[in-house]
Amino acid sequence: MSKGKAKSEEINETIRSEDNWEPVGPTPMPEMSDLRRWDLRLLKTYKPFYSPFCDLCCFCTYGKCDLTGDNKGACGINISGQQGRWALMFALMGCSAHGAHGRHLIDYLIDKYGEDYKIDLGGQVAVEAPHMRTVMGLKPETLGDLRKGIEYVERGIIHGVSATHMGQEGSNIDFESKSLHIGMLDHVAMEVADIAQTIGFKFPTSVAETPLAGLGWGSVDKSKPVVTCVGHNAAVATVMIDHFMKMGTYDQVEVTGICCTAIDNTRYSDKTKIIGPLSKQLFFLRTGIADLIITDEQCVRCDIPDLARATGSALIATSDKISYGLDDVTHKEIDEIVRLITQEGKQVLIRDVDKAGEVAAKVLPIVAKGRKKEITTKEKAQELAKECKACGLCDRVCPNLLNISAATSDVRDGKFEKMADLFAKCIGCGKCEQECPKSIPIITTMQAAASWDTFNIRVGRGPIHDVEIRKVGMPIVLGTIPGIIAIVGCSNYPEEIEEIAEIAEEFAKRKYIVVLSGCAAMAAGMKKDAEGKTIYEKFKPDFDAGGVLNVGSCVANSHITGAAMKVANIFAKLPLRANYEVIADYILNRVGAVGLAWGAYSQKAFSIGTGCNRMGIPVVLGPHSAKYRRLYLSRKEEDDWTVMDGRKKELINTEEPSPEHLSIVVESKERAIITMAKLCIRKNDTAQGRQLKLNHYISLYKQHMGTLPDDLQNFVRNDKDIPIVYKKEVAEYLKSVGWKPKPLLTLPTLIGTYESNIPIDAVVR
Amino acid sequence: MSLPLHYVNVLTGLKGCRVIEDPQALGKIIKKSERPLLVFGPRCPDIFLNGRYAIEYGVDIVKAIGAATCATACTKKKLMEYGILPDSTYDIIEIINHLKDPDWKGVKKQGNHDLVMFLGVRTDLGNQGLSTLKHYAPHLKTVTLCPYVYPHATFSLANLKADKWKEYLEGLIQSLKS
Ligand code: SF4
Ligand code: SF4
Ligand code: SF4
Repeated sequence: MSKGKAKSEEINETIRSEDNWEPVGPTPMPEMSDLRRWDLRLLKTYKPFYSPFCDLCCFCTYGKCDLTGDNKGACGINISGQQGRWALMFALMGCSAHGAHGRHLIDYLIDKYGEDYKIDLGGQVAVEAPHMRTVMGLKPETLGDLRKGIEYVERGIIHGVSATHMGQEGSNIDFESKSLHIGMLDHVAMEVADIAQTIGFKFPTSVAETPLAGLGWGSVDKSKPVVTCVGHNAAVATVMIDHFMKMGTYDQVEVTGICCTAIDNTRYSDKTKIIGPLSKQLFFLRTGIADLIITDEQCVRCDIPDLARATGSALIATSDKISYGLDDVTHKEIDEIVRLITQEGKQVLIRDVDKAGEVAAKVLPIVAKGRKKEITTKEKAQELAKECKACGLCDRVCPNLLNISAATSDVRDGKFEKMADLFAKCIGCGKCEQECPKSIPIITTMQAAASWDTFNIRVGRGPIHDVEIRKVGMPIVLGTIPGIIAIVGCSNYPEEIEEIAEIAEEFAKRKYIVVLSGCAAMAAGMKKDAEGKTIYEKFKPDFDAGGVLNVGSCVANSHITGAAMKVANIFAKLPLRANYEVIADYILNRVGAVGLAWGAYSQKAFSIGTGCNRMGIPVVLGPHSAKYRRLYLSRKEEDDWTVMDGRKKELINTEEPSPEHLSIVVESKERAIITMAKLCIRKNDTAQGRQLKLNHYISLYKQHMGTLPDDLQNFVRNDKDIPIVYKKEVAEYLKSVGWKPKPLLTLPTLIGTYESNIPIDAVVR
Repeated sequence: MSLPLHYVNVLTGLKGCRVIEDPQALGKIIKKSERPLLVFGPRCPDIFLNGRYAIEYGVDIVKAIGAATCATACTKKKLMEYGILPDSTYDIIEIINHLKDPDWKGVKKQGNHDLVMFLGVRTDLGNQGLSTLKHYAPHLKTVTLCPYVYPHATFSLANLKADKWKEYLEGLIQSLKS
């Protein structure tokens, strides 16, 4: 449905179109299909690739329907349509999680400070909300404006969910366009949420060198009362910390966390500690070190009440998204709730942030009293494993395909090396011990094998500064900074957790800009060099060549993609306002940014990645992500790599597959590194920039594969692109494969290669 | 139904693999192929089978039937140590993406393959890739050579212990050579 007059007026009012910070672009507050033509253009090159997890559909009572091969369901949908529907549903789940998180924060903060509370991200951040500006056309000034962002996202989500209903959308391509749209909205939602908490909780902003915070289960002082916050919403923890401070007891307690709440807690107070990512949730909670567990939302285990009961930890659930069937005591007086927890041992749900924070601060010292917190010793572990028959049933259920039986039977025999290796790769699902016919508590035995070292992480710094963008914009676009490597997402790692630090270091050493967030930012800090330094101590924290920075929790991912938008705006002077297509086209063709979600498991990671893809940022995924069922791939030799030369207004077949894929799963760390180096190549690279990028691609490829890349001919446009150190051998290789120079471009763009309302001149500045 | 070794790969559907217990029978199937391809995954150089690595059995199979080769991940380097320069180095998802297209020219540019063997890929990733081929590549047969049931393959081995697997591979190679 095209927009009517009333709708246009509503949009103009929402975005205050008369404000003249920039002219309103072609797509203010786009609806589901307003950017469809851009999507279809992307999907023409980067075709959806499906690997169905289930051959059946069981969505409605017509089914189950077998969709294998050419079969259709009773409603007429085919297997591709069904996979597209899954993709849309994953994107919707992810976007909703961030959106509802943002909604909660905004409602809470508006209640506290009023809707006119000003957005101020400090002197270094003038372009405060690149996603809201680019997607909606709104330059938000207050909390009330942020609420408009969430309302816009909420509207999109309803529309998206409706399309997944039986007998609605059937085309896989249109499902993909819709999931790209929802992915885009997700970045708006994340941006809103992170700006809200940054201004509301006074998180660091406009500072690059944030402090280092304690990381790892070994960093927790268990002699103190320990509270562990699990999830992604730090609101309750901020109130609790305030109470500790008011009571003068903050230095007598340990405030710890798992997942993104932990990251955001350190942004509120760098004295708080991060235990680790989701993969260590079960392991840590099983130790019983937490005297009190506070759950909020997202990536929280569903069995925490059982875990807490088993170890004697107290539990307060604080989100109506995870109520656990607990008594809702929100309406009761604080003293009564404290009594219920401390005297009756009740686990409770408190939906009021301030009340939950105050109750937590009051109950912690009481519930901690007299609790014994002993880590399983080697002797105890051996005793626990003594019944192991090495039957291998545990191996069959391990989603990370680990050899648990060998490790457990070794523990039985008093040997712990294999269990230590297993622990490093374990994603903490607990399925193994559930399967064990001898009921061996395998996760508990890991306590005796795990390292209890202390690590550190740089506190999340929020948005990239405008002045940093001004400095690196040109080298990024010319290619002389070889790329931005964004390492993000969850902890479903295929191998050791240390791989994240190794990947980050490889690129930092090569002077890429390495940006981390969420669980990946934690994982990166969990490796020390010979001198005992983590990656955060070894590299500068600036958004610059060779910098390693942590932007913050999952919702801070919006600052990474926002930085790419800011390059288009601050460096290239392209207007952001309601100008999504032009900005995405700019990023796709000119900003060498690549995401790595090596352990992605959540629907949030899927929707974040999909949002990256719509704005032209490729994403590399670890092997588990094949279970997302959908990727966006090109076929370099077969596909058409024609773009428009924006200045000459000529279509040019570049023959260059850059970037080669938008979303790809790879199997090993080394292949991921090589793939990322390649995906940083952009058509806009100058000869000097291309030389540098190829230099890294060739050296990594040779190191791990033993030869020159066998697709090198695709990325050398002329002799000037050949890195000097490899000049001779590359020249010989190119000759052997019959390489010919490729046409040169002045300004690559997809605008003009498909039907669009955007004039080509819109990309020329 | 033959359950996979790793339950994460359990079939949710009706069309599953045929488990071939007899290596001679599998040898016959493979020999019928006109343009076979063997995809080497990153695990095959590390799996040690009492005296030989799995990759060496793969190399023997390639040599016995002149199969085309694809080295995924970073297996190329290892394969070259065993004297084989792979015909292609697509990663696992990329080679599967190409195989879907019946008109693809294949890794040797002589036409798409009609039978693809896999050795040394993670079972979960491998099974996902095989699902793609089951649904989207009816023009080809897939064979898994690892000692696990792969429900989405056309032909799979059973879940075998290391010694039985070694025996099986030796029997298969013998049959291919005969
Ligand atoms: S939604 Fe369609 S394919 Fe799915 S069960 Fe219903 S009729 Fe069958
Ligand atoms: S299932 Fe239990 S008894 Fe069997 S190998 Fe695993 S730990 Fe040992
Ligand atoms: S808890 Fe760890 S070892 Fe056990 S099944 Fe899960 S991933 Fe495997």
